[in-house]
Amino acid sequence: MSEVTINTEWLSDCSGCHIAIVDLHEKIMNVLQAVKIQRCPVLTDIKDYPKATVGLVSGAIRNEHDRHAAIEMRKACDIVVAWGSCAVFGGPAGAGNIHTPEEIVRAVYLENKTTVSAAAPSSEVSPLESVVSPIDQVIEVDLYLPGCPPHPAFIFEALSALVEGRQPEVNRRSVCAKCKRQMVKTEVTAIKSNSEGIPDAEQCFLSQGYTCMGSVTIDRCLAPCPGNGVPCTGCAGATMQILTEPNRDIRTEIAERMSRLTRIDREAIVLSLERGAKSHYSYTMASSMIGKKPTFHIKKWIEDENEDYEAGGLA
Amino acid sequence: MSLEIAVHEPSCRGCELCIDVCPTKVFELDAEQRLCVVKHAEDCIACLSCAYICPSTAISHSGYHAVKNFYRDAEFCEKMGKFL
Repeated sequence: MSEVTINTEWLSDCSGCHIAIVDLHEKIMNVLQAVKIQRCPVLTDIKDYPKATVGLVSGAIRNEHDRHAAIEMRKACDIVVAWGSCAVFGGPAGAGNIHTPEEIVRAVYLENKTTVSAAAPSSEVSPLESVVSPIDQVIEVDLYLPGCPPHPAFIFEALSALVEGRQPEVNRRSVCAKCKRQMVKTEVTAIKSNSEGIPDAEQCFLSQGYTCMGSVTIDRCLAPCPGNGVPCTGCAGATMQILTEPNRDIRTEIAERMSRLTRIDREAIVLSLERGAKSHYSYTMASSMIGKKPTFHIKKWIEDENEDYEAGGLA
Repeated sequence: MSLEIAVHEPSCRGCELCIDVCPTKVFELDAEQRLCVVKHAEDCIACLSCAYICPSTAISHSGYHAVKNFYRDAEFCEKMGKFL
């Protein structure tokens, strides 16, 4: 077998996916024995796109530069992997799709409430495209590895499988499958915000009335957040059930389970999730699987919340 | 091939939601281990209600007749086999 070469590229994202490669620690030696890393923004100084067997592309398409880089990677690489939630689903930048680029530039540069206002950059950085796109809207993708970032164990398995020419061993279970909290039925009657009270360390967040997205999120992390006292925010994107079934959704699936575990009314949970939709859907809303669901009315939900806020009573 | 139903035990949180929704009472709770276990596999009618409600996606079925679901997201289904 000829040597496996790898290019990586980094579009609109935070760099976490590239850092996750470094988090392989000594295991990276096993990978390096079998592959040759060429272009890799955090490890090498190669600026062009040499021919490669595998291309790992992290980040969403946010501007003209991202689009150009994604197309160049596709031309140079035999297998392109959408690597991380931004590349697969658009990631947190997808929340920008609720606003126009002009609104975003105005809020960030011109009318920023927390820093000194300044003109938006006009050189070096290419302008924002009208929407944030997952990379498969622009180039063909061979494999998808969601996660924010994917836990190094999943990256290692994916790279090893590609090198050995076999199917990777993956499961489609949710974050709950790796969370050790006890999911018990309780008499809790109201939803709590994350800043309210001190959650029990042993009991499931849903059982306690806290919104946790573990049950609707694919496990590409091994559940570190709920294991350390922080409810899941859904960073690896929705489970396959939600993505395949238009009549299932993040808010309805959470409400279904939480209302059976507690005494909280199902509709109250759905409403609460709609009001916080910008957070709950942020990682995936740029993806058509979520953003184009006929039941996804985020602009209306945000307007409703603003109206209630202006009227002086948050629901 | 006959219908089989399995719970991936390390993933089961013992929440009992599968016991609540199963129309034919296939599951029982092992209170000591806090696990939902398959007690009457022969009664399973493959409605898949348990597989959908399970927070961990820990319940799987095999050997059942898959009914074509006309409401699936076709675009995503094409991609699903490519998910790592």
